[in-house]
Amino acid sequence: MAPIIYLGEFEYAVLLATLHLDDEAYAVPIRELIEERTGRPVARGALYTALDRLEAKGCLRSRMADPTAERGGRSRRYFTVSAAGLKAIKATHGALANMARGLESLLEQS
Amino acid sequence: MSLGAPSRFAERVLALVVRDPQWRDGVIGDLREEHARQVGRVGASRASRWHLQQALGIAVRYGAHRLLRRGTRPRPWLAAATQEPGTSWRSGLTRDALYAWRAVRQRPGVSGIVVATLALALAANATTFSLMDAIVLRPYRFAGVDRLMAAASQAPSATLFDRETVSPADFREWQRDVKAVEKFAAFEWWDANLSGVENPEQVPGFKVSADFFSVLGVAPSLGRTFLAEEMEPGHHRRVVLGYDLWTRRFASDASIVGRTVRLDGEPYEVVGVAPDGFRIPLGAQTWAPLAHDARYWDERKDGNLTVFGRLAPGASLEAARAELAAVVARQRQQYPDTNGKREVAVTNFSQGMNDPGAGPFIGTWQAAAGLLLLIACANIANLLLARAGERSQEYAVRLALGASRMRLFWQTMLEGLILSAAGVAASIPLAWVGLGLSRGSIPDSVIRFVPGWNFIRLDFRLLAFTALLGTVAMLLFSLVPALQATRAQVSDSLRQSGRSLTPGRRRNWTRNVLATAQVALTLAVLFGSGLMLSAADGAVNGVLGFDKHNLLFAQMNLPERSYESLEKRRRLITEVLASMRAIPAASESGFTTHMPYTGANNSLQFWPEGKDLREDEVRRADYRRISPEYFTVMRIPLLGGRRFADADGDKSMPVAIVSRGLADEYWPGQDAIGRRFRVTPTDDWVTIVGVSGDVVHDWFNRRRDRTVYRPVMQELPLRTVFAIRTIGDPMSLAGDLRRAVAAADPDLPIAELNSLERSMQDRVAGLTFIASSLGVVALIAFVLAMTGIYSLMAYITSQRTQEIGVRMALGATWWQVVRLTTAQAINIAAAGTAIGAVLSFALGRIMQSALFGIVSTSMLQLAALVALLCSAALLAAYFPARRAARLDPTVALRES
Repeated sequence: MAPIIYLGEFEYAVLLATLHLDDEAYAVPIRELIEERTGRPVARGALYTALDRLEAKGCLRSRMADPTAERGGRSRRYFTVSAAGLKAIKATHGALANMARGLESLLEQS
Repeated sequence: MSLGAPSRFAERVLALVVRDPQWRDGVIGDLREEHARQVGRVGASRASRWHLQQALGIAVRYGAHRLLRRGTRPRPWLAAATQEPGTSWRSGLTRDALYAWRAVRQRPGVSGIVVATLALALAANATTFSLMDAIVLRPYRFAGVDRLMAAASQAPSATLFDRETVSPADFREWQRDVKAVEKFAAFEWWDANLSGVENPEQVPGFKVSADFFSVLGVAPSLGRTFLAEEMEPGHHRRVVLGYDLWTRRFASDASIVGRTVRLDGEPYEVVGVAPDGFRIPLGAQTWAPLAHDARYWDERKDGNLTVFGRLAPGASLEAARAELAAVVARQRQQYPDTNGKREVAVTNFSQGMNDPGAGPFIGTWQAAAGLLLLIACANIANLLLARAGERSQEYAVRLALGASRMRLFWQTMLEGLILSAAGVAASIPLAWVGLGLSRGSIPDSVIRFVPGWNFIRLDFRLLAFTALLGTVAMLLFSLVPALQATRAQVSDSLRQSGRSLTPGRRRNWTRNVLATAQVALTLAVLFGSGLMLSAADGAVNGVLGFDKHNLLFAQMNLPERSYESLEKRRRLITEVLASMRAIPAASESGFTTHMPYTGANNSLQFWPEGKDLREDEVRRADYRRISPEYFTVMRIPLLGGRRFADADGDKSMPVAIVSRGLADEYWPGQDAIGRRFRVTPTDDWVTIVGVSGDVVHDWFNRRRDRTVYRPVMQELPLRTVFAIRTIGDPMSLAGDLRRAVAAADPDLPIAELNSLERSMQDRVAGLTFIASSLGVVALIAFVLAMTGIYSLMAYITSQRTQEIGVRMALGATWWQVVRLTTAQAINIAAAGTAIGAVLSFALGRIMQSALFGIVSTSMLQLAALVALLCSAALLAAYFPARRAARLDPTVALRES
């Protein structure tokens, strides 16, 4: 059995964003979504590094689309979350939720 | 590539870093896509810049990441750059450096001031060091110069300035008896008149002993130097030409060797040409053999020889000094009449050949620059301390989170290093400008006499010296805040957070001491430069005893051969004066042998009648020959007796006019007129017929010299100066004077044709230059010190905001708050100026003795500077105080 992968905070966010975007998940909208939802700036270099790392860990799969003129004849690299990725998301989410259990009253109020 | 398109360069860099083709397409394409959107949002050119920035950012981050994954070395370094976990000390170092860099950048104001302060102080030091190095320390740079020595006669307990030339007989004995010196050489002054060419000119020249060039170790670029037999009269009409003269006047003609040139109206055979750049001594351009008969070489009483030599192999300068001292002691015994009061000064070649004035002057400047660096360091230390104070909580938090004290110390030092590197880098262009200004501010006429001037430049040694100085200074002053960082008490700082009433006493004590030191040093620098400035001003604008305005003069040396007949000399003088008198714009015209402030002198003994003086009690006086109109032309007042008349000729009774100082010295309270004196105990008596006002002959000798004026027609000299008082700009008559001289003798070159005022300015150019440079240094020091006090007070006031709030809430008035906060500044200013006054006084004393009395300490000046510093310090403290007093107490109390 493959070991369970626990994700760093940023990696976790990247995987969630990829899930959200479904078929449209490539670097540009992923970054925008994370910025929008977390309210924190994301460096492009950091995102590519994370994507590369996640792909190497087997959490992400990628495919190339057809080249477009808008991109100067370059293709988009689309990402999808793999089964291992999904498992990692669940494990991380579960671990964090476990940590937060019992603190709901404190965490809900703002 | 059209403007506003995505940067091709950036894409190329990306392509280089992102090796995987699919990834490459993805990354570059993404950026293209976003760039297109940016164009719509911010415009083409900004989008293009954005693209470049993003691409490079990605390249660095992603590239480092990929390298790490491939396991490329050096892994720890990269780990730090990508902020991935790594544990070795190297990754720690990189992270610390990045952290320190961030800390420096986070406070651009403080960092900027620190860098600017350091850069200014370093530039001032680099500039002076370069001058010191070129002019004083190593003015002569040729092989073996360190094996050369110089020797000069000296009166007992004389200073460096009283070096005297050596008599021929003494020189011969030194040559024979001193074994520690392999070979001696000697030279004497000879202003050669180059004639027989289209424009006759006076060329700086020297008569040198045959060994002159070989002792220096200099080979000619053409021909040969002198042979021993050429020191015999009759064989001595040989000359070595200077390289400059040879290129300028003889078109670098290689066939010049063996040809004849006319010097002083006599034919000299050119035997060689000196190498390029060789101008020893004193800008010389002609050298001829020092040829004299046996009687000359037996002369022991007087002499005009300057002596230097090459040390014997293995012999040290000390050995030569000891041996020469012994020889001179023996000479004292042997010839008590002439050598009874004679000692010897043995120095290295540079010291011996150099103008002894340059050292103390540039030394003063160097000292001032050193003080400036100290002040700057105190300022920087204070700023860094203030910053460390602000960051004490940050340190405490980091300590609490487990950072080691060593780490904090190291990081603070790293910040210092970054600041010093920036300061050093910024100081280099500043020093370059400073050197350029220095070079440009000295007239060419002076530069000729400053050996080493051409070596003033920004060289590697200088840069290394500056970098070393900056780094050491900065590290020293980072040490204090760094040590404080290691001492930070976690619990205290965290507990105090914001609720501290007054900041730690210890730290403030250090800061007060630093500020006080700044004030004290600034006062000293201000005072010192003030002395120099008033000395420089007094040298040209002080009470001189004559009127320097609207005066034109032409100085020349008549060649002895062609002007052997007195009649010819008389005719030249009368003809030139007559044609000048015909010009309406020349209101008066006169003749003298020595124009004041032109550096020449003629000092002889003065034996007054009726005083039984021994040889060693006799004092010297400056002798000048003048025409009857001279006093009118110079506006020197006649205080008693009569002027010379045309009747005072060689057939009549020898007469003289003496200066008042001289008359008062020998006949105090009595009338000097009618008294008699003579120049040697065997000469004819000369009768005093008049007393004139005192005159200052040269700037470095501000005393009123004893002066004796004799009528020109009673003994016609070779040295000739025509002085013309003009209506309007004196230089407008320069052409007339030149034509008048040429009409009388077309072969006679004019050595100097200038207005007296300009010549005086040239003469003191070095002094003015150093004084104004010192002024600049002092000004910078002043600004730095005031900035220091201001930043200290602003910091302390901000630290006491809460206390002030409490006091105001309890009813303290505006005035009480201002007083509270300025009290400390007053203490600093008072203590600083008190210490500074003592320093200034000591400095004044040192300058008085080192700069041979051209400066005089003025208590009034000191008091004025103290007042200036105190009021400026108060003003610097007032602004933060006012800000504090205007605070709303509720705001002040809430602020943490």
